Amino acid sequence: MTRAEFMARLKRGLVGMPTSTAADILSDYDTHFEDGAAAGRSEAEVAQALGDPDRLARELKAEAGAQRWHQEKNPSAAAAAVFAVLGLGAIDILILLPVLMSVIGVLFGFYMAAIAIFIAGGAVMVAGPFAGFPGGWLAAILGGLGLMAGATALSALLTVLTIWLVNGLVWFARLHYRLLKPALDAQSHDTAGDRS
Amino acid sequence: MPETIEIQLKKGVLGLCVLALLARADSYAYEIAARLADAIDMGEGTIYPLMRRMQAEGLVETYLVESQAGPSRKYYRLTPAGRGALQAQTTEWQAFARAVDGIVAEPTSTQDTTDRGADL
Repeated sequence: MTRAEFMARLKRGLVGMPTSTAADILSDYDTHFEDGAAAGRSEAEVAQALGDPDRLARELKAEAGAQRWHQEKNPSAAAAAVFAVLGLGAIDILILLPVLMSVIGVLFGFYMAAIAIFIAGGAVMVAGPFAGFPGGWLAAILGGLGLMAGATALSALLTVLTIWLVNGLVWFARLHYRLLKPALDAQSHDTAGDRS
Repeated sequence: MPETIEIQLKKGVLGLCVLALLARADSYAYEIAARLADAIDMGEGTIYPLMRRMQAEGLVETYLVESQAGPSRKYYRLTPAGRGALQAQTTEWQAFARAVDGIVAEPTSTQDTTDRGADL
């Protein structure tokens, strides 16, 4: 692989990252080729020693996604982290995806339930006193408030659970991801080349 | 699969190796990659994700050094947190290595093992 090919594939793999970060990464690898040339190595040698650019790009993206999740715990960072981690191929998606989907589905269902209970509580509180709520107007207002408080507590609990879930996923992927896979691939290519 | 064990071992100590190299002298990524590629036979490209992670974790920081030829070069140096991590990981590694050595190098009489093998 030539330097231009390597850089093009790396650049393609980094699409979706903030441009300044991607430019920073690209310049790192560019410098690596410069230094390699200064040390008298050919472009192909340096590219081979660096490893598969697609895989490196996935790894860099996953790392950036995980960093962002640690800095800002919001839904978009969570989604970015999860997708970047799945992109690694570190997790056996076929096994994990159905499980993940059902967990996400259950969480989503509970969120919806919390919202519905909250709205129902509001309705009871506002409309109850006029609609002849059993137990009088005070019971209607207190009951409505109670429902709303319960719904708020439920959604807070769900948020904590969701944060745990994403944290766990990121941790799991980091644990299982084989950082040195490119090195091993390069080795097996070498031995194959020697044999032929 | 001995290869898998090797990967996991290298992966585990790679960060420690980088910290140790930087403790001796500030360095730039190509130099670190070249040293580690020779010593523990890793893909040179993996140094960059690792350095970015360590920078984000506050273990290393970068500064630019002007060079006569070409653009200025990015050097890495340890932060105080990096030194702390190096110390902690070195202690951990040495304890681990001693324990493994102790077990691997344990003198056993070969007679014993063959006897046990025959019993099974």
